[in-house]
Amino acid sequence: MSERTSNRIFDIVNITLVTLFVLFCLAPFLHIIAVSLSSNRAITSGEVTLFPIEVNWDAYIQVFSNDSMIHSLIFTIILTVATTVLCMLFTVAAAYPLTKKNLKGRKVFMYLIVVTMFFSGGIIPEYLLIRDLKMIDSVWALILPGLVSPFNLIILISFFNNIPPSLEESAEIDGSSHFHTLMRIVLPLSMPVMATLALFYAVGRWNGFQDSLMYINSPELYPLQLKLFQMVQNNMVSELTQLEGSNRTALTPESLKAATVIFATVPILVVYPWLQKYFVSGVMLGAVKG
Amino acid sequence: MTVNTNQGFWKKATGITLTAVMGVSLLAGCSSDSKENAANGGKATEGSSAKRVTLKVEVFDRGNSPAPQTITNNFLSKLVQKNFGDPNNIDVQYVPIQRSEEVTKLNVLMASDSDVPDIVFTYDSSVFYRYAGQGGLTDVGKLLDEYGPNLKKFIGDETLAFGQLDGKQFSIPGKRAITGRYSSYIRQDWLDKLSLPVPKTTDELYTTLKAFKEKDPGKLGSKNIPMGMALAPAQFETLIYSFIKPISGDLTYSQRYELPLHEGFKDAMQFMNKLYNEGLISKDFGLDKDKTQLAKDIQNGNTGYWSEDVDAQFYKDGTMDNLYKNVPGSKVTPVDVYTNAKVDNKYIKSRYASNGMYIMIPKSSKRAVEAIKYLDWMSTGNNLIDIYNGVEGENYDMVDGIPVVKENVSQEFADRLFNGGDMAIISNGKNLGDQATNEKAWVMGFPKNNQEMLKQSIAIANTDTVGPIVFGKPIEGEAQYGTTLTDKLDVIIVKTTMAKPDQFEAVYEQEMKDFMSLGGTKLKEELEQAVKELPAK
Amino acid sequence: MSKASYLRRYWQLYALLALPIAYFVIFRYGPMYGVQIAFKDFNLFQGIGGSAWIGFDAFREVFGMREFYTTLRNTFMLNFLDLIVSFPAPIILAIMLYEIRSVWFKKISQTLLYIPHFISWVIIGGIVYQLFGNQSGMVNEVLVGLGLDPVPFLTEKNPWLITYLFTGVWQSAGWGTILYLAALTGVNRELFEAAEVDGATRLKKIRYITLPSIKPTIITLLILNLGKMVSIGFDRPYVIGNTTVREYSDVLSTFVYRIGLESGQYTQATVIGLFQAVVGLVFILGSNYISKKTTGDGII
Repeated sequence: MSERTSNRIFDIVNITLVTLFVLFCLAPFLHIIAVSLSSNRAITSGEVTLFPIEVNWDAYIQVFSNDSMIHSLIFTIILTVATTVLCMLFTVAAAYPLTKKNLKGRKVFMYLIVVTMFFSGGIIPEYLLIRDLKMIDSVWALILPGLVSPFNLIILISFFNNIPPSLEESAEIDGSSHFHTLMRIVLPLSMPVMATLALFYAVGRWNGFQDSLMYINSPELYPLQLKLFQMVQNNMVSELTQLEGSNRTALTPESLKAATVIFATVPILVVYPWLQKYFVSGVMLGAVKG
Repeated sequence: MTVNTNQGFWKKATGITLTAVMGVSLLAGCSSDSKENAANGGKATEGSSAKRVTLKVEVFDRGNSPAPQTITNNFLSKLVQKNFGDPNNIDVQYVPIQRSEEVTKLNVLMASDSDVPDIVFTYDSSVFYRYAGQGGLTDVGKLLDEYGPNLKKFIGDETLAFGQLDGKQFSIPGKRAITGRYSSYIRQDWLDKLSLPVPKTTDELYTTLKAFKEKDPGKLGSKNIPMGMALAPAQFETLIYSFIKPISGDLTYSQRYELPLHEGFKDAMQFMNKLYNEGLISKDFGLDKDKTQLAKDIQNGNTGYWSEDVDAQFYKDGTMDNLYKNVPGSKVTPVDVYTNAKVDNKYIKSRYASNGMYIMIPKSSKRAVEAIKYLDWMSTGNNLIDIYNGVEGENYDMVDGIPVVKENVSQEFADRLFNGGDMAIISNGKNLGDQATNEKAWVMGFPKNNQEMLKQSIAIANTDTVGPIVFGKPIEGEAQYGTTLTDKLDVIIVKTTMAKPDQFEAVYEQEMKDFMSLGGTKLKEELEQAVKELPAK
Repeated sequence: MSKASYLRRYWQLYALLALPIAYFVIFRYGPMYGVQIAFKDFNLFQGIGGSAWIGFDAFREVFGMREFYTTLRNTFMLNFLDLIVSFPAPIILAIMLYEIRSVWFKKISQTLLYIPHFISWVIIGGIVYQLFGNQSGMVNEVLVGLGLDPVPFLTEKNPWLITYLFTGVWQSAGWGTILYLAALTGVNRELFEAAEVDGATRLKKIRYITLPSIKPTIITLLILNLGKMVSIGFDRPYVIGNTTVREYSDVLSTFVYRIGLESGQYTQATVIGLFQAVVGLVFILGSNYISKKTTGDGII
């Protein structure tokens, strides 16, 4: 078998497998879209699979005409951008010094950080802290407690460590300051991982709502995912609602839930394609040569 | 080169940071403004007295506020402020708690001392007993006498007893308007096709199910489900209650996971096992905790007989409407068939206790008096009716003392009432007077075409009911093992039902042994002791 | 190096560290006093300080519960299976994506592959039941239609474990590729050109060029993963699990949820949390140590 044919076979098999997996990943999303466009009768009767039945746009009209949804979307976008930027600043500021093997106290810091991956005070002391900092019902309660993820920090350190030391050393010999080396050498060489971690932080903030359950009382500060959670979870018939008896409220229609899922998911889905432009191969190589 | 483009990125990034941070603080700023406005309602009255106080009241947030209303600022919150707050020089402020995270959040608020609302509540009796037992609640006995005479009258001594612990009134239980829970249904068109009578006993039901299975009147083949079942109380509890012997007269233990402690529980499981192995009940019932599949099967006309919460299927575009749409010619009849051989073949089934949620005032609250005043206000005049039904003449008309909800009101008017049930905490359901009046009012709220069947269902739900014993003290075992045993009950039902008939005995023994060792034994001893100590009637 | 010159050389680094350290001290270590709940008869209203000390009583109680051991065993089992199946999945997928030459196909695939990460478990659960139920599941309807026996995907141990693993891979593999793809941008393309000249096959190039270049990332993530062997998310086992397979799907997080949040036994819940933390820390430091000794790479 010639090299070209074996190459072709490899490509065909590879592309087929990836396509299959992509379809697997796409199908449930298509299902949710189908549900969001179908009539309630068709949904609760279990007729909807990948294509909408008795198509109507009512659910979307309801979502988009709901001012509080739009408000929440805008708030969540601002919150996510602000959180991501602050998190990245803090994470980079922590990661870069911790790559310097000669830095006194480095190991101690590392251990202290690793410990926080496992030990935490629990929700009551955390709530009391936020209260004492006067951050209950403020956006800061949604930003500050998660500023540095130890997980992301360790990943960033590991990527920084992979930058050839010669590059930094040459800069330092040139008399450049640490700030300078970080801004001119390290960060430009780390754009792919920076983009990745920014994505991790952004998605984490976008998908997170547990903290808002605890810390937020004003509906104006509800992130989108909290509103989604309310719709999906608060409405479920469960043990919980048993005792409500005749006080029970009618359930949210499935199509509205699905439309809200789409509404709350699509904005964050488009972030990755946009970040992909920072995933350029050979950045390191260019720098070494330059 | 790369370095250059990246500098561009950083410039941009810094720009975004600044605008974002500014944006956030702006948002934060305006939101706190609007909060103050909402809380203060009308600032005009503030000048008259320096002692204007704030009363913080918990409210369930279900995420169903129609814009522009919010859960903390809406038609009803303004109504309360205007009719109760301003005259009493009180700012009523609502603290939203997400319905499904209720207990978690309440625990944290309780622990925080300062942030806890002055009025909190829960449906969970063990949460109430825990708070009371740990000394966190205000004894409202005297306050009720002084500031809440109307409230006391409204709730009544029998229901108030649910909120007592060692003779102290640590909570005010809401009053439940309707205590009927479950009804059962059969496909009349299936019966007609097979020329069968409506079954009247458990035995007749079995024969009917057999006929449904063998003769397949719906021509459904493998989709035919003679009896709809789900792993949810409305389905299995109805069946189990018809086999057990209640502890004393029409009273028995209150918690579902205490069912296995009753005589006759095994017979119920044996019957389930038979139904399952003969292919008479839904095969996947063990996966169907939220009744989605059950509802699907009913709507598609695949199910011959089933039990449900009395109201569940009669909402607009609900299960019943969909069934009639999906299967032309289908007809459903509410039926009462489970006869209990241990209680003179009566149609024994469970009913709700007469209480709704437990309303509590934390000990740290400095507004206990205002809190009682608020609840008392709610129980007077037309206030409760208005909270449930809106504005007379705009949302409802009074007909024979019953508020009849107007049809075709504008969206704006209809939106007023999204949180009526959650604001009227002293009442579970529309309390207007006696049970019959309440039921009548409740039925009025349903679509016209379903009202007749709902009436029949309610009549069935009220037949031969068994309610909970009130011990007037916490059962320690309930607080400690409740959640574990709730889970275990599901396991017992699923495992014993799905066992092969010849393995039933062994599986049942094993599962019950587990149940008893997970706390069942201690719970049983404690309950039996508590029953002995009950004052003789 | 003298102190002064050390400081002159390194003050900038300490300045950089100052804010993150303040963050860790305030937000991570500030509430840490909460761990003493494990040693106290915690009363919500007396607070952490005011509750009475009970020493190791709660530890003895928890370690005497049979549920603790079954849930611990299940947590281990599910995590171990995930480590074997779900950990390598994104690596393989990332390499497959890397090997695709068509830029637009690659970009579109990547974007679509990470969609499942954004669908919450409650919704996934609903879809899984629709697909894999015994009587009404679509997959089984097809199987029965083909004259085959239905597979109890959700109600028997081994089929259920496969369903559990499959949903895990499906949900996280695409998302997991992102970090590896970021690492792969650092591969020196010249190596491939050189290998081409030597006539190396595609698989050989993957084996000798691609994989080694993401080795540090793999090791970092592996160590971080090993640290999580006794902790497990609540949602996936809870949503994919059901009553019929409760003896395998009941894990520490669902157990903690039952006793801690629902029954209000904070003390016992904190004990379990503390146990998980200690074991996790031992695992992560241990695997870090071994990794440093054998490969030279580690996280600390």
